Amino acid sequence: MIRPVLARRERVLPAVQAFAFLVGIVAALALGLILLWTSGHNPAEVYERMFDSAFMGTDSLSRTLERATPLALTGLSVAVAGSMGLWNIGAEGQMMAGAIVATGVAMMADGLSGPLLIALMIVAGIAGGMVLMLGPALARSHLRVSEIITTLMLVYVAIRVVEWLETGPWKDPDSFGFAVIEPVPEQAALPGLFGRANIGMLIALGLLIVFWLAVSRTAWGYELRLAGSSPDTARYAGVSLRRKILTALLLSGGIAGLAGAVQLTGSAARLDSGLSNGYGFAGIIVAALALMRPSGVAVVAFVFGAVQVGGQSIQTLGVSSAISDILQGMILFGALVAAVLFNYRIRWIGPAVESSGDEPEEPEEPEPAEDAA
Amino acid sequence: MSEAALIGLFVATVQFGTLVFLAALGELIAERAGVLNLGVEGMMAMGAVSGFMVGLETGSPWAAFFAAAAVGALVGGLHALVSVVLGADQVVSGLALTIGGLGLAAYVGRNVVGERPETLFTDLGIAGLADIPWIGEIFFDQPPVVYLTVLLGLAVWFVLARTRLGLAVRAAGESAPTTDTAGHSVMALRSGAVMVGGAFAGAAGSFLSLYMAPGWVEGMVAGRGWIAVALVIFGAWRPGRLALGALLFGFTLALQPRLQSFDIELLGVEVNRISPALLGILPFVLTVAVLVIISWRYRHRPSPAPAALGLPYRREER
Amino acid sequence: MASSDADHAVWLRGIEKRFPGVIACAGADLRVRPGTIHALLGENGAGKTTMVNVLAGVYRPDGGEVWVNGERRFFQSPADAIAAGVGMVYQEFRLVPTLTVAENIVLGSAPRLLRSAEIEERVAELSAAYGMAADPTRPVWQLSMGERQRVEILKALWRNASVLVMDEPTAVLTPGEAAELGAALRAMADDGRSIIYISHKLDQVVAFCDEATVLRQGKTVATVDDLQDVDLTSLAEMMVGSTEGGYVERPPAMEAGPEVLSLQGVSALNDRGLPALTDINMTVHSHEIVGIVGVSGNGQKELAEVINGLRRPTQGQVKVKQQDVTDASPGDRYLLGLAYVPEDRLGVGLAPKMSVVDNSIVRSYRLQRRGLMLVMAKCVEFCQGLVERFGVRTGRLNDPIAGLSGGNLQRLLLGRELAEQPAVLVAAQPTRGLDVQGVAAIQSHLVAQRAEGVGVLLISEDLDELLALSDRLLVMYEGRVVSELAPDVTPRSVIGEAMAGQVRA
Repeated sequence: MIRPVLARRERVLPAVQAFAFLVGIVAALALGLILLWTSGHNPAEVYERMFDSAFMGTDSLSRTLERATPLALTGLSVAVAGSMGLWNIGAEGQMMAGAIVATGVAMMADGLSGPLLIALMIVAGIAGGMVLMLGPALARSHLRVSEIITTLMLVYVAIRVVEWLETGPWKDPDSFGFAVIEPVPEQAALPGLFGRANIGMLIALGLLIVFWLAVSRTAWGYELRLAGSSPDTARYAGVSLRRKILTALLLSGGIAGLAGAVQLTGSAARLDSGLSNGYGFAGIIVAALALMRPSGVAVVAFVFGAVQVGGQSIQTLGVSSAISDILQGMILFGALVAAVLFNYRIRWIGPAVESSGDEPEEPEEPEPAEDAA
Repeated sequence: MSEAALIGLFVATVQFGTLVFLAALGELIAERAGVLNLGVEGMMAMGAVSGFMVGLETGSPWAAFFAAAAVGALVGGLHALVSVVLGADQVVSGLALTIGGLGLAAYVGRNVVGERPETLFTDLGIAGLADIPWIGEIFFDQPPVVYLTVLLGLAVWFVLARTRLGLAVRAAGESAPTTDTAGHSVMALRSGAVMVGGAFAGAAGSFLSLYMAPGWVEGMVAGRGWIAVALVIFGAWRPGRLALGALLFGFTLALQPRLQSFDIELLGVEVNRISPALLGILPFVLTVAVLVIISWRYRHRPSPAPAALGLPYRREER
Repeated sequence: MASSDADHAVWLRGIEKRFPGVIACAGADLRVRPGTIHALLGENGAGKTTMVNVLAGVYRPDGGEVWVNGERRFFQSPADAIAAGVGMVYQEFRLVPTLTVAENIVLGSAPRLLRSAEIEERVAELSAAYGMAADPTRPVWQLSMGERQRVEILKALWRNASVLVMDEPTAVLTPGEAAELGAALRAMADDGRSIIYISHKLDQVVAFCDEATVLRQGKTVATVDDLQDVDLTSLAEMMVGSTEGGYVERPPAMEAGPEVLSLQGVSALNDRGLPALTDINMTVHSHEIVGIVGVSGNGQKELAEVINGLRRPTQGQVKVKQQDVTDASPGDRYLLGLAYVPEDRLGVGLAPKMSVVDNSIVRSYRLQRRGLMLVMAKCVEFCQGLVERFGVRTGRLNDPIAGLSGGNLQRLLLGRELAEQPAVLVAAQPTRGLDVQGVAAIQSHLVAQRAEGVGVLLISEDLDELLALSDRLLVMYEGRVVSELAPDVTPRSVIGEAMAGQVRA
């Protein structure tokens, strides 16, 4: 009987992960092909439309970048926590919290000039995300409560708060009875770059670079990596784990809150319960595929932005946009499987040595022993 | 507040409790074997949509229920393949299951939104008992899934505590090498536990779409899968405490849509003037609070969590 | 099957086993007669553990044959080996701490339905039959190491194992418990079972065992049919290939310098919140090696952690160079001159997944800063310095450190700790698991540090090492220092009694 076993390679190389990501995309497209085909669509036509709407022409590209911006920010948010070995599953909610506080600031200070107001709203967004993260962060750092469940639960809290604000306290008096919040002041719109892309994209890019520098080139980042990679070693080096957990989670929440403020000022114009639009959850996939590396976050966010823009565009062909959710989940699954397979050699093993007769064979000359120490 | 409303509240408490208990029981099995599965939400959505569609097609609620369980097991099998057999990160794999499962459920169910099958689960008035005032209506006039879930709870407790299989599952969750060298296949135990857990979650999903909110709409699971994951911690990985927790959460879930009709005052606030959106926060805030309280109580003791929870195992590693 | 083959309980023939980058067994043989206790000897890395793991079905050999009780076997899993009558007692016990003794014993061979009372009764009968007391209803985490070992043996007996493999069984036992184990093993051999006994403690091997097989670099280099015919020295020679590479020469006596480390009335709790250290008073002076003797689990780990700031004492004071550091962080203590080689090299001392460079600056990264930034060039330079000075054999400095061998890990770790000329060095199990050259290198560094004026606190399970290197010995038992002994004039029997808590007035 011959059967496979997995033997692990020494190290996960970024190149291997990049290849796994490609395999994940191919696998997801293949599954999507089957889905589309069996439900009576022409896969070639659908995929062509997706590709064109995401990449062909500056307008398409700008839409992809517009979507990639919040994905990069939430991906970065998850990656900051992830580099400490923590999971921020609640970026979706922190994004909302950021948008809520930013909206509140805009309502109170709508007389301010554009740049000042935008700056204030962004700071407010960061604060909002941090506030929503404060409970889970403290519970994790001081009581070892799993941050996975607590951050996630607060997503629903943040969304319900927005729904409450819509129907009650912040309801727009000029909305003819519709339950909507009034739009943010006009001067608070983030300056555009080209097409639908705006400055938010540069903010995301800048933050990714800052984070990369901070993690790989500063003593703070070294402590963060040490604490994430081997907590006992970090303690021994004199790093306060509690403080590191707290700062990593609060930063993570702050960045997700910033994503909310950027989304509000850049694309959304007004706060509603659909503002976070699944970006926070997709950010988890982005960060996981990127192995928590900033460069990877940028690439994956761009690809996912394209998948989402493509998913929207095919609705005109009568195809459900749920396809883009399936594709995103499948890319992650495909990449997970591929990364494991690339990182583990499969060895086929059978019974030790097949004996030809009753008499055991003479063992072959053994290979020279290496230093096995 | 009328008597009927109060009874309605408790009837709904039992039903919501059943919903989260069934899903949480599945997660408990997987976690006792050492596998964290964050895909409950996705498995429930897949169970809800597939159960509903089979119900539409066959008109048989039981066929729908078991089909949903089979789909749940299949989706759970994907998590088992990726995280147990291939040893990928359980958190990532589980999240992929939730995100992908929600998307796939939405896609598969896009054409049945708004439809209603003709026969659904009906309440099972247990002869003699259902007529007892209050108690009868709350406990003895419920759909059969409620009673099946109680039996499943007892069965899970019995298997875990009193059988060779249960001992092996518990051991796999505490120390994989020990279980392996004792002669049990950790991979089989864990994969099996995850798939059974998936079946429970899928079945719970169909209870939602076939009985509690008949029909299918995207997002109808609405975080109940996550509450199930949290419930396992609340129940300290024990079926009995899980049942208590499920009733508590069932109560808050049942309370939320009803509170507005209650004409009472709490701390100077008239309850029925609070926005339903704000009341919807209740179960989620309660979950966080409960987790914090439990961790506080265990701060000086070893956690009751299975020691090997979340750790992949591969034998020939060196 | 040839008839002469029937006369063995176990025959491992030409076993080959390769791991990535390592050949663990290169055609090794092991043949055990029924009803005997057979010692399997060899240095670390000689392939002993790999051999027995092949026999236990944990590893599948790349070549060679496994015969048990006259039958050729192809084990695909531990279950197959168990069914064939092979029972294995691992060095790191394979017990589930939260389960009871009875549940652990029946795991894998339990009846379909568990009736606790019935099982507990049968387990009690079994333990009475072999004189190995164990309360079947207690959870395993409450048991001492010696009791856990009994549970492991009972587990094998429960499955009626005809071959029992013991990997380093006495490492966790007091001398008295070890003697009891020897008697129990003899009773089992007289019952017709065969026992494979892996140990480094040659005096025990000679006392307990009938025959021996010696492995070196994955091959069988000698077999001994009757251990009564050989002496300890020749056994040791067979293991290492020559008598060289034993313990370093005992350092010449030195005048102890000023006090560099002192503990006054220190008490601390363990991870479970139970007392681990009680009223510890000790001092270490410059130019001195103080050895901590004791069976593991008597507070040594907690002692090292309290001294280095990884565990808070509930009472008492820790002073380094006369300064009170009781509330100082581990990093601040290091900067004051307290260096520490922890027992867990990978996981505490070193971060396995981080690079060699990252690991070499764990203690000194605060010194390699310019503003907020870490100066990478300085870090690399520092790391290269360590690698050269301490003879660390390593691949690329940016590769994860987990790829290094045990000896090289320890050289880098020790080098890193000594880089800033400390006043005190706490070394916990610094040579455990190292090969002969590794042991010699680490020990000579310790002796050299003593000569330079460092005060060394050496915590070890290796009594020979402690006797060879220490100027003074402190014996720990149940969290207390029960006696102070002079290594060169104290008979081993007295040390053994002190380790078991029996202190002569």
